[in-house]
Amino acid sequence: MGVFVFLPLVLPLTAWPIARLAEQHLHPRTATRLLTAVAAVMALCSTVCLGLVMVVGTAQLPGNPLPDGWSDPEVRAAVPFDEVVGKAAIPALCAVVAACGRTLWRHGRVRRRAHRALAGLPATGVAVLPDEVPYAYALPGGRRDRVVVTTALLEGLEPAERRALFAHERAHLTARHHRFLLTVQLAARANPFLRPLRTAVSYTTERWADEEAARAVGSRRAVACAIGKAALVSRGTPVATLAGFAAPGPVPRRVAALLGPAPSARRWPSLFTSVGLAAWCAAAGTAVSAMSSANSAVTMVLILRAATPL
Amino acid sequence: MTDHRQRSGRRGQGELEGLVLSALREADGPATAGWVQERLGGDLAYTTVITILTRLLAKGAVTRERAGRSFAWTSASDQAGLAAHRMRKVLDGESDREAVLASFVTGLGPDDERLLRELLDGSGSEGEA
Repeated sequence: MGVFVFLPLVLPLTAWPIARLAEQHLHPRTATRLLTAVAAVMALCSTVCLGLVMVVGTAQLPGNPLPDGWSDPEVRAAVPFDEVVGKAAIPALCAVVAACGRTLWRHGRVRRRAHRALAGLPATGVAVLPDEVPYAYALPGGRRDRVVVTTALLEGLEPAERRALFAHERAHLTARHHRFLLTVQLAARANPFLRPLRTAVSYTTERWADEEAARAVGSRRAVACAIGKAALVSRGTPVATLAGFAAPGPVPRRVAALLGPAPSARRWPSLFTSVGLAAWCAAAGTAVSAMSSANSAVTMVLILRAATPL
Repeated sequence: MTDHRQRSGRRGQGELEGLVLSALREADGPATAGWVQERLGGDLAYTTVITILTRLLAKGAVTRERAGRSFAWTSASDQAGLAAHRMRKVLDGESDREAVLASFVTGLGPDDERLLRELLDGSGSEGEA
């Protein structure tokens, strides 16, 4: 198979153009689902590939618990530089497993702690906390889904904007956005080349909730004002951002999108526009990448299966 | 919220603080730790009640004044205030909270503030800046 076995590790790079185009031109709901699916498939293929390279590369080492057939020269011929790559794959795979485990653990821990912090309050869908720091977020928790918002943030908003804020957070909870976000975070841990997809999906989920909120309150401008004002009152709050970037941050882009017309729910731009052509090319490229990733992974599994003594 | 009885063996700190604070709020005036302990049905050791009251004092949720040889405690904030304090601690402890909780707005970059004001002040039909 030659160097093709390493394709799943680098092919996630080809998803960058589609992430950019989908984020800008697709309906946020479609973009979120598409990009999450692409990220999940590519991360899975990449991890399977890493695991198989490790198995093949280390099967000949003495004292390993793997079947003898796996150290067959024909199997090892499938992976170029099998000894070096196999040994390098061990720490890489360990790092991936550790990073994914840590992400899952932290996700669970923050959710648990946040729910515990709210223990003792009436079990309502909205928890208003008296605090001078303005913030709001959606806290998922099955039947205990909650919107957490502070008085400082609510005081800065008009009634219509408050409704927009609640509609936005409820949209996060109803559409289970935390699952998309967790998926792309895990994918980004599995293969760092998938990080732009994580950034893109965290933006498209916000846009998705913005659009849902605009529909619920019946005013795009109210949602835009709510986001803008909330961002301006909380600008003193320290949030880790990459300062000094030329591109406008996600908040002005969200506001600009809301002040413009509603995105069409049409699934894909036409092929006969420049945007459409770019989108189609990017989509085709991503699809081919995903399929070659899957192909490499499946071939490796088949080779090992053929070499396994039964 | 009714399930704390079932796992009373390992109730979280937050829950105990909530219980003690709500007991204290039911008092007519300043109350002693012994009164709070009695109010909670003798479920907690006296020293535990003292520990929790001291912790609440550190959070500014209760105040105390000397009454004879012990302290008389008064609640200074309600459950919501205490929850706000605890939530702040959770959020401050999480350096990368954006990765876990989808918050309403993220931070603004250096030019974002100006851009945002322009967008909000503009007619709304200017499109992208």
